[in-house]
Parts: sequence; C-alpha cells; structure tokens
Amino acid sequence: MIRYTIKRLIQGVITVWFIATATFMAMHSVPGDPLMNDKAISEEIRKNLEAQYGLDKPIIEQYGIYLWNMVRGDFGISFAQENRRVNDIIREHFPISAILGILAIAFAGLGGILFGALTARYRNQMPDIVIMFLVILGISVPSFVFAALGQLALVKLNAFFGISILPVAGWGTLSHMIAPSLVLGLGTMAFLTRLMRSSMLEIVSSDYVRTARSKGLPPTRIFLRHELRNAILPVVTVLGPSIAAITTGGFVVELVFAIPGLGRYFVQAVQQLDYTVIMGTTVFYGAFLVFMVIVVDLLYGLIDPRVRLE
Amino acid sequence: MNATLSFAPVVAERDVEVISRPSLSYWKDAWIRLKANRRALTSLYIIIALGLFTVVGPLLPFVPSSSTQDLDQISSPPGADRTATIVAPYAPWSGVTVNVPAGDGPLEAPASVSLAGEATTQAVRIFWDPVPGAHGYRVYRNIAHPAPDDALGMPLADVLVASRVSFEDRLDIKPQDYFYSVVPLDRNGREAPVYATVDVSAVRVVTAEEAVRRGLADSAADLAIGDEVRLALHLLGTDYLGRDMLSRLMHGARVSLFIGIVAPFLFILVGILYGSAAGFVGGRVDQVLMRFADFVVALPFLLFMILFRILFKIEGGDSGIAPMLIAMVILSWPAAARLVRGQILQIREEGYVSASRLLGAKTPYLVLRHMIPNTMGVILVTITFAVPSAIFTEAFLSFIGMGVAPPTPSWGSMCNEGLKTMLTHPHELIFPALFISITVLAFNLLGDGLRDALDARMRSQE
Amino acid sequence: MNTLTDQVAPTLLEVRDLEVEFDTYGGTVHAVRGVSFDVHAGKTLAIVGESGCGKSVTVQSIMGLIPSPPGRIVAGTAKLRGREIVDGETIDGDIVRGSEIGMIFQDPMTSLNPTMTIGDQIAETLQVHRGFSHGQALARAAELLEMTRINEPRRRARQYPFEFSGGMLQRSMIAMAIACGPSILIADEPTTALDVTIQSQILDLLRDLQQQNNMAIILITHDLGVVARMADEVAVMYAGEFLETGTADDIFYNSAHPYTVGLKAAMPTNRDESEQDLMPIDGSPPDLFAPPPGCAYFARCPHAMEACQNDPPPAFPVGSGHATRCWLHHADCPRRTEALHYAAPIEGGDT
Repeated sequence: MIRYTIKRLIQGVITVWFIATATFMAMHSVPGDPLMNDKAISEEIRKNLEAQYGLDKPIIEQYGIYLWNMVRGDFGISFAQENRRVNDIIREHFPISAILGILAIAFAGLGGILFGALTARYRNQMPDIVIMFLVILGISVPSFVFAALGQLALVKLNAFFGISILPVAGWGTLSHMIAPSLVLGLGTMAFLTRLMRSSMLEIVSSDYVRTARSKGLPPTRIFLRHELRNAILPVVTVLGPSIAAITTGGFVVELVFAIPGLGRYFVQAVQQLDYTVIMGTTVFYGAFLVFMVIVVDLLYGLIDPRVRLE
Repeated sequence: MNATLSFAPVVAERDVEVISRPSLSYWKDAWIRLKANRRALTSLYIIIALGLFTVVGPLLPFVPSSSTQDLDQISSPPGADRTATIVAPYAPWSGVTVNVPAGDGPLEAPASVSLAGEATTQAVRIFWDPVPGAHGYRVYRNIAHPAPDDALGMPLADVLVASRVSFEDRLDIKPQDYFYSVVPLDRNGREAPVYATVDVSAVRVVTAEEAVRRGLADSAADLAIGDEVRLALHLLGTDYLGRDMLSRLMHGARVSLFIGIVAPFLFILVGILYGSAAGFVGGRVDQVLMRFADFVVALPFLLFMILFRILFKIEGGDSGIAPMLIAMVILSWPAAARLVRGQILQIREEGYVSASRLLGAKTPYLVLRHMIPNTMGVILVTITFAVPSAIFTEAFLSFIGMGVAPPTPSWGSMCNEGLKTMLTHPHELIFPALFISITVLAFNLLGDGLRDALDARMRSQE
Repeated sequence: MNTLTDQVAPTLLEVRDLEVEFDTYGGTVHAVRGVSFDVHAGKTLAIVGESGCGKSVTVQSIMGLIPSPPGRIVAGTAKLRGREIVDGETIDGDIVRGSEIGMIFQDPMTSLNPTMTIGDQIAETLQVHRGFSHGQALARAAELLEMTRINEPRRRARQYPFEFSGGMLQRSMIAMAIACGPSILIADEPTTALDVTIQSQILDLLRDLQQQNNMAIILITHDLGVVARMADEVAVMYAGEFLETGTADDIFYNSAHPYTVGLKAAMPTNRDESEQDLMPIDGSPPDLFAPPPGCAYFARCPHAMEACQNDPPPAFPVGSGHATRCWLHHADCPRRTEALHYAAPIEGGDT
C-alpha cells in the first residue's frame, strides 16, 4: 500500500508537470502577446512591462523561471489587477469554491447512495419509476441550466410565499450555500444514483447475499454489512471524475449565483484574458484534480481489501 | 381412470429437440433488439426529428430569418398578443395644472393617481391629486407592484413645478403592465417617504404610416383609426433583440448538433488509428504511446478546452466552431484510443481468431472478418455516448462566453443570453435549455438501447 | 405418501407436496411440482437430477431463499420436528435458517462476502443466533476453521476470501454453516466448482462432521458418483418432480424408472467389462412454462406408452421405502415384469 501510494504520488507530480508545461505552451503560442490588449502604449512602456513580466527573456528561460516559480508555489501577479498576486486570489477565493464543492459532492454522494439503494429495493415499483425518470432528466440537463432554473424557481418561490425562503444569490451564511450546492450536486447525484442502482441490483442477487440470508441474519444487518458496503465500491471509483465535474460545474453555478469563488474568478479572468491568472488557476485546478483522483483511489483501497492488500 | 389407460407403446416420432428460433446475423439481431426497446426507438425518432428541424426547418414559410430583428416584439413570449391598433400620429399633451393648496407639516401621498386617456405604447399619461405643500413630484415606473418592499423601479422624471400634477411617459413603452408611482418632493427636492401608485396596462398601437413602413399593411389609405393590424408571427417568441426564437433555435441546432456529432466522429477516428497502431505494433512503442495517452487523459478537460479556445483567437466574423472542434479532438481522443487498443488486444487472444488463423486466414481477412465487426459495436456505443457529452461541452463553453462567437447562435450561447433576461422573460432561457436537454436525453437513451442491443456483455441492469 | 419411512432414525424434516412457481416475462415457470420427502437424523438424502430440474429451488424454498417476487411457494408444507417452517410464501426463517439448518453453496468463490474477513463472516452467525460477543464468536470461528481442517485458523480467520483457495473457501463455508450446530446441513452441489482431489476431501469432511454431530445432510448433486459415495437415501428429480425415491441401493441396483436407468447409462464407469459406449439421453427436459399433462419424461422415454402422454403417473411402491412415478409399474401394465428388469429397451420403443 505504501509503495502504491508513493508510485501514485510520483505519477501525480509528473502529470502536474505535464499540465503546467501544456499550459505554458498553450499560453505562449497565442498569437501576439498579452500586452497587445492595451493598445495605446509607447514602445518604452511596453519594454518596461515586458521586463516586469519577464517577457523579454528567451522562451526557454521563461519556461525555466515559470517552472521554478510553480515549484515554489508562486503563480505571479495578475495582469488585470496589477497589485494582486495570483496566490492571494487563489487563497482568498478557493476556500469558497471548496466549501461549495464539498457540500455539493456530499449531497450528490449521499443522495446517490440513498436513492440508488431505494430504487433497487423497489425495483420496477413506483419509487423506482419516479426516481429513475428524474435521474434520466438529471443526467440530460446541463449544470448551468440547473443553476439558472434553480435560481428562477427560487425567485418565484420567494415571491409566491412573500418571504425569503433561501437567498437567491450571494455568499456568506449557510442559507446562501444550500441552493447553489444542491443545484451543483444534482447532475452528479443523478449519475451516482444510476450507478448505485445497478450496482445494488447486481449485489442483492449475488451469491454472497444469498449466503448471508441462508445464515438467517436480520435484514438490516444484511443490508448494511453485505449489500451496502459492496454496492458503494463502484460509486467510490467514480468519485474522482465526479469531483472534476463538480469543480467545472462550480464555475457556472458561482457565476449564476454571484458567489465570489475561484471558479467565477477564473471565468472572469478568461473573459478578460488575464493570462497569469488563467495559467495559475489552470495549473492549480489541474494539480488539485490530479491529487483528488489519487486521494479517491487510495480511499478505495481502504474500503476494498482486495486493493489494499495487493 | 384405469378404464381409459392404454399401455400400448408409442412408436411415432416424438419431437425431442426443436430449435424454435432461426439463426440471425449479429446486426440483424441487434436491430430486432433495438426495435423492441421502446425508449431507444422513440429517442431515435426524436433525433431524426431534430435533424429535420435543423435542415428543413429554416425553409418553412412561417420561419423568419434568424438575424432579422422585430423591434415591435422584443423579448415577447410565445403566444403573446400580436395585435396593434392604428392610432393617429402623436400629438403633444398640455398636461394638467392646478392651483396648489398651501400646506405645512409632513407631505402626504397624493390622494390618487389616474390615467389620462388610454395607455398606449405611444404614450402613457398620468395625473394625480395635488399634495398640499409639495414643491414638485418624482415619477417612478416599475414592471412589478412596488408593494412588498417599496420597490418603485426606475425614476422617470422630476416634475419641479408645484402646480403641474401630470406626467407623460414616452420612454420605450412595451405592451405590458406598468406601475407608476408618484412621490411628492419638499422644497429642497427631497423625497417624502410616501407614494401613490397607479396600475397601467399599455396597449400596442401603431400609426397608419408606420404600419405601412413596417410591412404590416399595404397602404395607409386602407387603415382607419381604431383598426387592428397583426404583427409578424413568432411561434416561440423573440429574444432580447427581437429575433425569432424558433429560427434561432433551428440555426443554433446546426452548431450544437454539428459539434455534437462531428467532434465524436473525429476524435474516435483519431482514437481508432492511434489505438489500433498501438495495439498492432505492441511492445515498447505501445508502452510509449499509451503512456502519452494517459497524460492527455489526465489533463483537466474543460480547463484545457478554455485554454485552447483562447489559443485560437477568433477573428471578427468567425463562428468559433472550428477551434472548438480541434480542441475537442486534441483532448478527447485518448479514451477512444485506449478502448480500441484494449479491444484489439482482447480479440487477438480470442479462440475464434486463433481458430481462423489455424485455418490459414491472413491478417487482412482477420481484421475485416473479426476485428472490425467485433469492435464496431463498442465503438458505435461509445460514439452515441460521446455525442451528449460533446453537446454539453459546447453548451458549457458557449454559456461562459468561450464557445461560439455571436451573432452565430448555438443553444449554449442562447442560454447564456437568456440568463440575463431570465427573471422577466424566462422563455429565452427555457427553450434552448429544453432543446439541449431533449437532445442529450435522446442520445443517452439511444446509447443505452444500442448498448443493450449490440453487446449482451455490456447489458445494463435496467 | 410416505416413501422413506423404514428408517430407524427419527424424522427431522417432513416436506409434503411442495410447489414453487416463478413469474417471469415469458410466463409462469412451474419449477417444483409437488415433491415430498423426509429427512432423518444422521442420514444423507441426495437429490439428483439434471441442471434446471428444480433441485436447488426445492431446498432454497425450504430455506426461504426463493427471491419473491418473482418466486412463490404455491402449496405444500415443511415441518421441522413437527413445527411448520414453510408458511405460505416465506418461512419463519430467521430462527431456523443458519441455526437449525445450515447451507453451503455451489461456488465458494462467489458465495462469500469479498469485503468481510472469513472470521467475521463465521462469527456473525454466532452473534446473531447464539448471542456471542464479537470476541467469543471470533474465537469460536477459529475453532470451527480448525474443525474443517484449515491450517493456522487464527491467522486465516483475519483474512479475506480473495486470499483463500477454492477448497479452503468451501471449508470456510462449511464452518460457517455448522457454526450453530444445525441438525440439518443442506449442501447445494458443494463440490461442482472444485477439482477432483479437493472434491474428495470436502466429501470426506462432510461425512466426518455428519458422524461427529449426528447431522442430517441434504445433498444436491448431478453427479451419481457423489451420490453413490455419500447418500443413504436418494430422490431422482426431473422437471420439478421426484420420479423415483428409495435407498441408494434401490436406486443403483434396482432402478425402477426409465429415467434413472438412463442416468446410469450416461454415467462413465471404469469397469472394463462394460464395453458399451456412454448412452446419452436424447432430447432435453420439457418446458416448465407449460409442463406436459402426463409423465414429464414422456418425450424422451424409450418405453413411452399412450397412457404416459396425458395421465400423470402416481407414485407406485416398488419395495420397502422405494417408489416410482411410472406407468410401467401399474398393475394392469402388460410389460410390468420386463420393465422391472431393464436389461434392454423394450421392443417397439424407440431409442
């Protein structure tokens, strides 16, 4: 297990290096240069700016400096807001995105497991038919549509009851977090429900559940110790990709709900072509996702002895 | 019972083994299974209908061009009233002037606010009871009732003559309900904390001359005041620039479906070439190729889509479709490559391939007879499931403004535009969202059906 | 109908007229169509038959393991020491299951929970039925593993199923099934998935455990070799019915049903004098969606008579504790005498 962990971590570092290099190459093959946006600048100012951002150096040297800065965890200074360091932006805005993401993934995971088990239990009966219909809808609706319609529904609800049930936008209190994280988690929850259902159906008719029944165990014990734990395994394996989906889904949910998270900041930076912020956040998000996948894989090892002990 | 028993031996042939089903080819069998799946078949029809919608739709007589703006009907929902009444050309209004009763103490709200004449899109004229002591009035306009939280809306004007108790609004009036609120002002021009509101329903009107100019009638001579003319029909309403939603949805479908279908075909093609190269050559080359594919897979997909989109700067007039296609192919091929390689390695070891080889089959025959037919099913299913995710990607990028460049419509960019007017005109968001969802739903269900039909091993539990 | 009553051993389980059906998309499958049998303390009853003849369903319905829906017990009773355990559709199972009756299955590789240790899986039966603490139960689990001849039982108890070989897994299954000292052990094809040497060890183990604990065994198998080695009493099952019941000697040396004869002819032997080829039984079992109105074996029987086609044969006693459902044994059947011998197929019958 320790060797496996080390191996995975090394692979992860190489992947992050690959992401950083790909980002660097992508950003440096953009025709023209970042300073072209400010049209009326004199040659002198231009030179100064280039020097300030290190754009006058040969590309290999720039790459070297860039990598060294990445290793030190320094992502540079924003082009658009010259007095802000990208590190500060990430430090300030990422925790908000992280809270939103954690709530969404918790909601998606718990909901998916619960509804998946429920639909499998009532296979082809009313709860199953209703939930599976919603699940198919949930898989087919993009996250930004959920976000927009969710907000619209909230506005109408608040207007209908004449009181503010939940805030429509913004961030700060727990009540601000509920609607966006629900909306963000819905698509993933639908996906996980479907997965959990088929996994559960496979397991309730498995030989070892039959064995457990032949031992005369009470139904709750069979459900918890024999069915649920084994049925959750495939759900855990897709948590990595789910985290990626929720992270990118967070971009639009933060946009729609006016949440000051890193995702919204990233989208704004993209729209303003704020190169250092784009590079910094891309590498940061890339590294984050790569290591989340590793964490999920290691977590899987803890649950499944077959992986842990090999 | 014994009386009826006969112990004579049965000599006649008895059918002990009956094969009741004729043998079927793989594709024929798959087609029969797909036809039996109602959901998949319905989805197939929906997809065909969407294709027709995109290709034939814009040719239909009642579908206007997607870029024409109908300034009379901006953000009008489907089924909105299209009648306009012919009125005389605008004539100025002298307004209402009264003697102002003197007064001191706190200002009160006007006793009433009333409408003068009929409220039309030409002008809305209101007057109110004078407030003793008021030195002027400020008039607000809102599209919702101000009641719950005193939201008066947009300040239209200050009437700073104390004796004037009327106001004429000619500012971009739409045929809808408005709430005008009047707030008295003190001598310093400060608002009193009171107001009175009148609820006004503006009627769409047009002058005869204008009706002819806009093509609503043939000649002004045929039109009398009070006659009704009908504005152009927009089945699904119009967007915030007065463009026909149905037509834009049809043109948007071209972009969304084009990307959604072409991108998977392209990256799966690349994947097949790459994967089969790796699978056939094997050894070190295979190792290196697949390692590289692993790294590309590890790239965060949407982040790099955005990066690539920045990389391919879109010049004015470009739609941005090509860059999106290229970026999707660059980032998506490895999954298909892995799949194809895995399939090839697996099939190569199958008994029937060895058997065929023992019987003297050459490699081209093996590829044609065994490799391709046996991987086609998996590849077809992969393409079907790749379509919805490509549509999602396009929509997502267009939604955050990183996809198709305006004015080219795509469902995603229409959602993006619809988001801005979501609260007042939800149809501008709901229609494109609905189309994305139905399309994705149809492809997902078709994919499920195909998987069940083509590959018994992959059969889902549903 | 008492077919197996000449035993001195007390009767533990009495099953009468059991009928089980499954509702499927294709219609209702009549999987078990009225079977009756007794199980005696310390004796082995073997139920033998082809795949799909209803052997497993019979014992699973007694254990309440028939998934419902689609399965249901339509009729019949099963009394354990006089107490009814098959009650309508389900059995009053949890008290009986695992405690009074233990069960082991065909494929030990898939019959154990992959994410629980072997020890825990044995222990939980004891915790549930005997109120043991977890520690006590684990200690007992190690003892049970030792009883089933697993080396280093303490260490092994902490391992997971994937760390065990197939034979060891089946031993663990047996340890689990006998944990609470059941009076009946149901073994559903316990050796089918194992290789021959392991098969033999497992059968020896079952025999020894049976003798030590005076336990009854219901052995489900399609292997007449296993029957010959283990069984005291045998029931030959076909298309959801028992066609012949009797002692092992009756079945092997005094077969009374053409199907039993067919099975024996299809069994390989290593005796040199039989230079006969193996004789397969032509055809396949009848469709249980619509069972034939007469004898289930009619379509394949070399001795088929007109009576067999539409009239189901009752059980004819052919000896003490030996009975068969075959019209050949009817008093009026002209070929009765010949039929009792079965040296060769009767003239006029087709093979």
